[in-house]
Amino acid sequence: MTEIQMQNPPGGTPGAAPGVGPEAEPGAGTSMIRSSVLRKLARDKGAMLSAIVLAIIVFCALFAPVLAPHDPYDNNLRNMLKPPSWTEGGLPEHLLGTDGQGRDIVTRLLYGTRTTLIMGLLAVLAGGLIGSALGLIAAYFRRLEGPIMRLVDILLSFPSILFGLAIAAVLGAGIFAITIALTIAAIPTIARITRGAALVQMQMEYITACRAIGMSDMRIIWRHLLPNCLSTIFVYLTLQLGQTILLGAALSFIGLGAQPPTAELGTMASEGRNFLFFAPHVSTIPSLVIFLIVLAFNVLGDALRDVLDPRLRQ
Amino acid sequence: MLHHIAHRLLISIPVLIGVLFIGFLLMQVVPTDPATVLAGPTASAADVEAIREAMGLNEPVIVQFGMYLGRVLQGDLGRSLISNSEVIVELGNTVGPTIELMVASLIWAVPLGIAFGTFAAVRRGQISDRIIMAASVAGVSMPIFWFGLMLIQYVGFHWQLLPFQGRGGPLWTLDGLRHIALPAITLGGVFIGPVARMTRTSLLEVLGSDFVRTARAKGVSERTVVLTHALRNSLIPVITLIGLQIGFLLGGAVVTESMFAWPGVGRLAVGAIVSADYALSQGAILVLALSFILVNLIVDVLYAFLDPRVRAG
Repeated sequence: MTEIQMQNPPGGTPGAAPGVGPEAEPGAGTSMIRSSVLRKLARDKGAMLSAIVLAIIVFCALFAPVLAPHDPYDNNLRNMLKPPSWTEGGLPEHLLGTDGQGRDIVTRLLYGTRTTLIMGLLAVLAGGLIGSALGLIAAYFRRLEGPIMRLVDILLSFPSILFGLAIAAVLGAGIFAITIALTIAAIPTIARITRGAALVQMQMEYITACRAIGMSDMRIIWRHLLPNCLSTIFVYLTLQLGQTILLGAALSFIGLGAQPPTAELGTMASEGRNFLFFAPHVSTIPSLVIFLIVLAFNVLGDALRDVLDPRLRQ
Repeated sequence: MLHHIAHRLLISIPVLIGVLFIGFLLMQVVPTDPATVLAGPTASAADVEAIREAMGLNEPVIVQFGMYLGRVLQGDLGRSLISNSEVIVELGNTVGPTIELMVASLIWAVPLGIAFGTFAAVRRGQISDRIIMAASVAGVSMPIFWFGLMLIQYVGFHWQLLPFQGRGGPLWTLDGLRHIALPAITLGGVFIGPVARMTRTSLLEVLGSDFVRTARAKGVSERTVVLTHALRNSLIPVITLIGLQIGFLLGGAVVTESMFAWPGVGRLAVGAIVSADYALSQGAILVLALSFILVNLIVDVLYAFLDPRVRAG
């Protein structure tokens, strides 16, 4: 990974908020620049590897019912805590062994990854929608900027885990409560980033031109401002996804998220705690999958940020 | 300086009200009607109504919120549904261990993170830099509970080196230290990565500045340039980061406490929420939020103290 000073994109307005890359310039050449972004990304081995890992994981999660060799809730107490099939005592039909209730770990991993990803994606999408709307409004309507950004600062300063605790306390522990908490936790970062990107666009002449020809505010925001901020928003959504999934898994691990018997990676790791000393694979395998997913999102997000927004790096 | 602190205090007020409102909300969702419980099974409807009136349960929500604030200010957080002891007392016993754990984690993780970050910055682009940075991305991506589980499995169980359940008494005793070791390694471990990354970025920026060039030009040894001139100037963003990450640390503490049966506020909160002990979870969340606001305030003041530019306002 290269550091900040790798390149200086044109188009940033002096004195304005951190610039967005050249791809944010409206008008001709956009598709050409996009393809150059992809080419740069393709040269980053870590990013490509992460993309491949993520593609495989998403594919597995998507087709869990087709790929799964067993039923995720089908317990068999005679076969409980079997080790992976290549170790001594393992059964050929249970590749990664079985858990404390004799359920097939491969199957539960597939379904668990599904739950974990859906929770994370829903939260990041919802948080991203609300956050980017707030950011765009704050940048466009300067009078609303103060109140919105203050609210965002308050949300940002607050530990995400406390949202999780408070919402789980009010609504009761479960996937629903945790997804809401994760959504709230995702809002402030996205709002800030969107506002930063939108403020740069607001300095551009095309916005003035749009106003001059009498275009409505909504149309300017929707047709011009948003499309030009999308790449920045997208990068941060990727980075946020890793953090959101990690937080969701931690909340599930301490018992506030998905409830048994639902297959969810954090919950699976937590269930495996009881057998840690004689069947460590029950909690290690789901933890490893969480680690892989989050790592892939982080590496990919970092690489995307380097390519698209070199100046937004800290 | 005073202006800065006053500003931070003012910003904390809406947060505080929000937090208290959540606490109040929690006390509202209690499925049982407190008046019915208090009146007992044999009471008539009129009796219950009289008690409701006396308890202020018929007042508008905003008045009830005011009454709740009054009670909280007097330290009355209600009684735990499960142990029936006073919430404030239960909380009082758990705050100390949580602070202990957080301090014990920071005390080794922050210097180590700064050391790694400095090393990586000095060796920029070399193999050691790449390894440290890759490790820090991996560290940030690692679920804290997995790290803790591995420590429990190997250090605690297989090698029997350290205990992994509960608190062993005051920290100045050997047993106390042995008990806090694994939780503090777990919690501090996830903190090294971000600190190292931030130190590296910040130091690289400072190393490119004019005064560093001047120092080098006048023949100061590279060691002195990095350690005395540059590092000191690059630590301010690192301190900001540590302040910003206190919330992250608190989150880690909740998970760590639950794993190692560490008797802190986080474990208490999780236990209370899982067992639907509303009064206790309300109290625990309030305490966690309040201490978070307080720590942030301290970090802000510290920051102003360290950076003359902020102090001058």
